[in-house]
Amino acid sequence: MPDFSRPDHLPHLRPDGEPPHSSWLPRHRHGTTPQMIGRYPDYDVLVEVDSWDDATRKVVLARLEPPGPLRFFSEQEEPTLRAFCDTVMAQDSEPRVPVAEFVDDKLAAGRLDGYQFADMPDDRDTWRLVLAGLDESARDGHGKAGFADAEPETREEIIEAFSHGQLSGGSWDRLNVSRAWSVVMRAVLTGFYSHPWAWNEIGFGGPAYPRGFMRLGPVSTLEPFETPGASQEDPVRAVAEGEY
Amino acid sequence: MGDLLRGILKGAVGPKDNDSRYLLDVHSRDLPGEDTMARYADNDEVDLVVVGAGAGGSVLAQRLARHGWKVVILEAGPFWHPDEDWVSDEAGSHELYWTQKRIIGGSDPISMGSNNSGRGVGGSMVHYAGYCPRFHPSDFHTHSLDGVGADWPITYDDLRPHYERVERELPVAGQDWPWGHPHRYPFSPHPISEMGATLWRGARELGIEMRVGPVGIVNGTFGNRPHCIYRGYCLQGCKVNAKASPYVTHLPDALAHAVEIRANCMVSRVELDDATGHAIGVVYHDEVGGAERLQRARFVAVAGYSIETPRLLLESTSRRFPGGLGNNDDQVGRYVMVQGAAQTAGRFPDELRQYKAPPPEISSEQFYETDRSRGFARGFSIQTVGPLPITWSEHVLADGHWGRALREYMRDYNHWATIGVLNELLPHADNRVTLAEETDPYGLPVARFDFNVGENDQRNMDYSTKVITDILKAAGAQDVLTVHRYAHLVGGARMGSSRDSSVVDPHQRVWGVPNVFVSDGSVCPTQGSANPALTIMALASRLAERMASGAAMQQPEVTRQPVG
Repeated sequence: MPDFSRPDHLPHLRPDGEPPHSSWLPRHRHGTTPQMIGRYPDYDVLVEVDSWDDATRKVVLARLEPPGPLRFFSEQEEPTLRAFCDTVMAQDSEPRVPVAEFVDDKLAAGRLDGYQFADMPDDRDTWRLVLAGLDESARDGHGKAGFADAEPETREEIIEAFSHGQLSGGSWDRLNVSRAWSVVMRAVLTGFYSHPWAWNEIGFGGPAYPRGFMRLGPVSTLEPFETPGASQEDPVRAVAEGEY
Repeated sequence: MGDLLRGILKGAVGPKDNDSRYLLDVHSRDLPGEDTMARYADNDEVDLVVVGAGAGGSVLAQRLARHGWKVVILEAGPFWHPDEDWVSDEAGSHELYWTQKRIIGGSDPISMGSNNSGRGVGGSMVHYAGYCPRFHPSDFHTHSLDGVGADWPITYDDLRPHYERVERELPVAGQDWPWGHPHRYPFSPHPISEMGATLWRGARELGIEMRVGPVGIVNGTFGNRPHCIYRGYCLQGCKVNAKASPYVTHLPDALAHAVEIRANCMVSRVELDDATGHAIGVVYHDEVGGAERLQRARFVAVAGYSIETPRLLLESTSRRFPGGLGNNDDQVGRYVMVQGAAQTAGRFPDELRQYKAPPPEISSEQFYETDRSRGFARGFSIQTVGPLPITWSEHVLADGHWGRALREYMRDYNHWATIGVLNELLPHADNRVTLAEETDPYGLPVARFDFNVGENDQRNMDYSTKVITDILKAAGAQDVLTVHRYAHLVGGARMGSSRDSSVVDPHQRVWGVPNVFVSDGSVCPTQGSANPALTIMALASRLAERMASGAAMQQPEVTRQPVG
């Protein structure tokens, strides 16, 4: 098992700037995480659902309902939307957090964030232009029918350029590309990290009212229902040596 | 009462003339008195109509109601029922923010919404973190002292009794405070989490002093308000009633003293009688597409904060004020300030689980004052924060990661500790709110906010980011991630001693209009590097005292020359 006290897995500290393949992580055993990847194999935040207040429970559990259908984006836009959401969140297999449906629902409901850059269109138009721009970049730069038809490496290459504001031509010229990146990623990240499966992946304690948290440290930062990240430690030896 | 005695007696001494803490229900979070509150007709000439039920408007209303004034508060957002409306969840708290459109421009556009704008009864203090520091005495004279910013027409001593009074009402918990004007707090400091302790150790290594608090969060019990449960959702609306906001600290008492809060009412202009030059009330819509209504009042207080207050004044055109109320000298909407609020996170070997405990824990004002050897005027404060997953993902994204790298950093969440700064960015006339061409569903022009970082501002931000990064490294961080951002708002209708360089006089009364006051953070000529909530409340408390005595209605004694 990996040793999580060391930071060697962090992209900043690796020669290629890339994270290790997810096979270095333990297999998730309890509950669901996106792609069943996680650091807390025995942790399922949903075990605690009875301790949450009614209003919170209703809001969070609704995210586990079957998602869709899309209301805002068209059938033509859907493959590009899904390919984009999958690529930026590295969701290459089931189970997936339904990020595309979250974004669609937010835009269909007009649940916007309260500001619009002076040199940008409305967020809803920004999304449409970004999807069109991704298709154009895949077509013009890589000879593909659309972004969704491109190989994963090609998609990542386009998105890397997008994240640096380095795309131009066609739809991109109607946007401030760096700001468009921040607009679309804000919605994507909110969709992904509001989902309980993502909380399982990262070991987040989840809703905490009316129960609260009581283990703030220093003796322990683990609530009774939380489990530590999988570690290299041998529990038999740890108990024998009095570390527990 | 002396500071020494206050510090010794701590929470045993409750605030006077404010029963909010006893009026709240132990078992329900609803604002008591909603069903039985006073109701006034539009044609009743009430004593005061307040626009906005946030920090400034609520304190003003509560104080004057205690003096027998008939007060109506018009609030654009909803009347919250926290048990049902608020959730222990980041994404689910979207409705707490002012999410109606604003246009942001300039070289450094400022994010609005969740970042700095509240909507609904209680205002943005419903979702502020809870830090409640005072301004320093120097903040009121930055032009004289440091040759930057502006001098206020009032001093720290004018606000000090109101700081003390509001600190008892919130109540503020923290260690004895050594910076600015040294003072004590009415409640003892909260226990701190392992994350806070880790950062504190780093600061100590570098000789940087930090203190626990000051936070407007109950430590112990306070009337019917319970102890904090350390769940970490301060920014999502406190479902516990432990964190202070006007919703729990002033509005219960206000409703018990015949204040009416009319929620979901969007004010479109202050109505002026061009013959007399007095305001006769405010015009508002109680639904989208509904008819205009006029609430008559002897006095009007605008308390919509730094974007909506200028917007409302600019929309309030008349023959006397063709460019907006109080705007004949083109001052309305200018000198809006935000604070630099970079955050740096460090990675540690142990699981710290930074989502536990309130995000505000420990802070330092060691770098608050000007030190010319640093290469810029004024300074910054340092505060710990505890981002929840969505906020943390935006932090990781800001450092340039997406896809697999982002997921890797996110899985590492529990090993990280986050510390931030608040930089005093200086007021500039061109950082301003204007009206955009676009209109909102009520047909009112939306606000446009342009912001540009100045040279002194940039040096301050660069220096402070290095300091917090050094703190993390001294604490033993194995990796760091930084996000550059901005927080808070003040200015836009600043107070001054001359009408050609300010919007309101030293009594916070709009120049040239005898009965319209501004009671919110927009009156601040400078901002220090303190979170503004406590100062906004203290200013409202002072204004109320002077309105009740009549002092605020007299001609201001101009005690200082206009500068800055």
